[in-house]
Amino acid sequence: MQMRTEPTALSTTISPDTGIRTEEMLLNVGPQHPSTHGVFRLIVKIDGETITEANPVIGYLHRGTEKLAEDLNYTQIIPYTDRLDYVSAMTNNYVLCHAVETMMGLEIPERAEFLRLIAMELNRIASHLVWWGTYLLDIGAMSPFLYAFRDREMILDLFNELCGARMTFNYMRIGGVKWDAPPGWIDKVKEFVQYMKKQLPSYHNLVTGNEIFINRLKGIGKFDAQTALDYSLSGVMLRCTGIRWDLRKDEPYCIYDRFDFDVPVATEGDCMARYLLRMAEIEQSLRILEQALEQFPSEGEIMGKVPRVIRPPVGETFVRIEAPRGEIGVYIASQGKDKPWRLKFRRPSFNNLQILPELLKGENIANMVAILGSIDIVLGEVDA
Amino acid sequence: MEQLLQQSTSLSTVMMFAAGAVVLLLIVLGFVTYAIYFERKVIGWMQLRVGPNRVGPLGLLQTVADVAKLLLKEDTRPKHADKALFALAPVLAYAPAFAVLAVIPFTDTLHFADLGVGILYYIALSGITVLGVITAGWASNNKYSLIGGLRSAAQMISYEVPLVMSVVGIILMTGSLNLKEIVYAQQDVWNIVPQFLGFIVFIIAAQAELNRTPFDLPEAESELVAGYHVEYSGFRFAMFMLAEYVYMFGMGALVTILFLGGWLPIHPALDFIPPVVWFILKFSLYVFFQFWLRATMPRLRADQLMSFAWKGLLPLALVNIMLTAIFISYQSGMM
Amino acid sequence: MLGFAKGLGYTLKKLSEKKVTHSYPDVPYPMPPRFRGIQHFSPEKCIVCNQCARICPTQCIQLTGKPHPDPEKKGKIIDTYDINFEICILCDLCTEVCPTEAIVMTNNFELAAYSRDELYKDLKWLDDNNTNVREEN
Repeated sequence: MQMRTEPTALSTTISPDTGIRTEEMLLNVGPQHPSTHGVFRLIVKIDGETITEANPVIGYLHRGTEKLAEDLNYTQIIPYTDRLDYVSAMTNNYVLCHAVETMMGLEIPERAEFLRLIAMELNRIASHLVWWGTYLLDIGAMSPFLYAFRDREMILDLFNELCGARMTFNYMRIGGVKWDAPPGWIDKVKEFVQYMKKQLPSYHNLVTGNEIFINRLKGIGKFDAQTALDYSLSGVMLRCTGIRWDLRKDEPYCIYDRFDFDVPVATEGDCMARYLLRMAEIEQSLRILEQALEQFPSEGEIMGKVPRVIRPPVGETFVRIEAPRGEIGVYIASQGKDKPWRLKFRRPSFNNLQILPELLKGENIANMVAILGSIDIVLGEVDA
Repeated sequence: MEQLLQQSTSLSTVMMFAAGAVVLLLIVLGFVTYAIYFERKVIGWMQLRVGPNRVGPLGLLQTVADVAKLLLKEDTRPKHADKALFALAPVLAYAPAFAVLAVIPFTDTLHFADLGVGILYYIALSGITVLGVITAGWASNNKYSLIGGLRSAAQMISYEVPLVMSVVGIILMTGSLNLKEIVYAQQDVWNIVPQFLGFIVFIIAAQAELNRTPFDLPEAESELVAGYHVEYSGFRFAMFMLAEYVYMFGMGALVTILFLGGWLPIHPALDFIPPVVWFILKFSLYVFFQFWLRATMPRLRADQLMSFAWKGLLPLALVNIMLTAIFISYQSGMM
Repeated sequence: MLGFAKGLGYTLKKLSEKKVTHSYPDVPYPMPPRFRGIQHFSPEKCIVCNQCARICPTQCIQLTGKPHPDPEKKGKIIDTYDINFEICILCDLCTEVCPTEAIVMTNNFELAAYSRDELYKDLKWLDDNNTNVREEN
């Protein structure tokens, strides 16, 4: 498909029956629109309330992370990854560290692996909660947002205790993690997992059964497995079409292979399926967390043996992991220096967003918001 | 009050009328101020927040501060807006909202005009507001407000039909369009019991008429930013908000009168409580229900909204009329 | 219809539940011990190794040293030390690399200022910022 940034000419039609002239209209949605989740801009051509064409415009939050990274050493890049998908910074931290560790063949201590996994899964829940709240806000219900943020706040407080920051963690380091779990932290996480398990059914009570909500989402923004593959979608956007693909299961990294969990899959491919999948993923994350907290080693190192200056060998590598929004990948081309020669992020939000113009064709404006929300983008990641 | 209205027109009576209207306006403004306050409080509590609590004791002056801010704000107008219509729209929206209150009997004695066709007057006048909304949407010369204006035109016109239809049952039972007589007819049993179907239809249609959740499409914040009043600021915006809340006042009063027995006590034994308290109680119940809905419901989609009105509510309202008619004919021995 | 009722029941139940709002500016918000607020800098500990300035991902630290006033002693002492808080991202790396813990984090996070110039923190300001200093670094 050809990517356009400029909309095509507006068409005018005269109805043969009534002789009334109708005209298409350009509607500029964003970059300051309440439901574009940041600074995303969408130029839609509408005929009445029906969208005939949609042109996304991105880059309002572009900071050139990839180019900046070429001037930074590997440790310095980690804080920059926090600012890509700022809703799920732990997975971003991890993917960069994981890439460098793979290149250098570093051994990660067990305890550090556990801490990383717990942090990532907590962050996945936090990220899905943000999505849940804001999505419901898009649909028009205002309370879920506050309920979701109350629960997310607990996760952020846990992170704050763990690493001293609530969003931009800069927690992981190449070879391990920066901080060990503070005393009593693991118990607090256990408590939170139990609390969240009780909380989830009430979320479903509040929203999932609501007839208006179901009617808004069922059959909206539908696509099939082949389309999903063609657009190289990942994460929930892929799994909602019936393809069981989760890197935690299919290409296990970290220590995910030690835990027992399911990969929720739906076949409908619509917004409702994506909604239910994300809710089911929270459940699975809680399951993983429960097991990980049970098996958490009582002591051990949190940093592996890492050379003082990190210089990956000459060569290139690409690693990918399952972030809350899909597959996040890092490509590093190294020339044996302490700085990457080229660094590239495969950002799931960016890739998932590609399908938007296709999905919006023929939908009406209210559905536009529902579809855009169900893709779950974070603009820091889209624009990098 | 009643004797006043019968008197011949003279300067003093006109002054009296004007004074009465101003008093009602002040009461309504007071209601709006505290309706907004309680809306924010109730929704805040439901969302585990405390709601406004900074301005004045318990935040009681929050709305006053907000209104003062709106009044002091610069009145902006888009360059290419239609000057005359842009100024006219808030007036068109607000004036009927206030005018409908003239026929509402709050108690047996506390009321203004005692029109024979009170309910008809209410419905006819409230239909004018939609003109203000469309005018605002059109005159702003903004695409979002245009879409919002058209949406609300479609919505308010479609929902007026089931709204009126749902009341027909009551009119059949009472045999009068006069709101006072409708209340008197509920001495034994409130209309909500025999007219339960009508009540449901009325509540839903009223919700849509008021443009409130889950039918707040015209100002759908997440889609249309603010709908028809997106370009309005300052006092003109305040007029729109005022119209919305005054309609809520009117609709609350109407529901109380039509279905909840107006100022009548829940049981004759509770007669010692003054009727106006009963009215306020029932009225507050409805207003609370509004806030409660707003804290819970997501928003409908425009096409679902329309099909719901025509395919869902209207047939229901017609069935209600049929059933009522059959019942009444049976009672009066015609069948 | 059941879905509506369930949702309405849920919100009604929440009406009387305990509120979660913090009365933040009235009641100070305690931050955990590891929290990263603005740095504290103690000039007497600094050995002018320049590591903090080099590790800083946004290059917001600028420092100069001068020879030790006591000619007997070797090495340098700090002369100027500036952190540009407009661009500092509080990533914690400077405190991590500092060999003498001359630069450490504090729990102070209320940093709003009326002028951008005020965000330019110099040695004296950072030295005086000695409350709530973080224990572990």
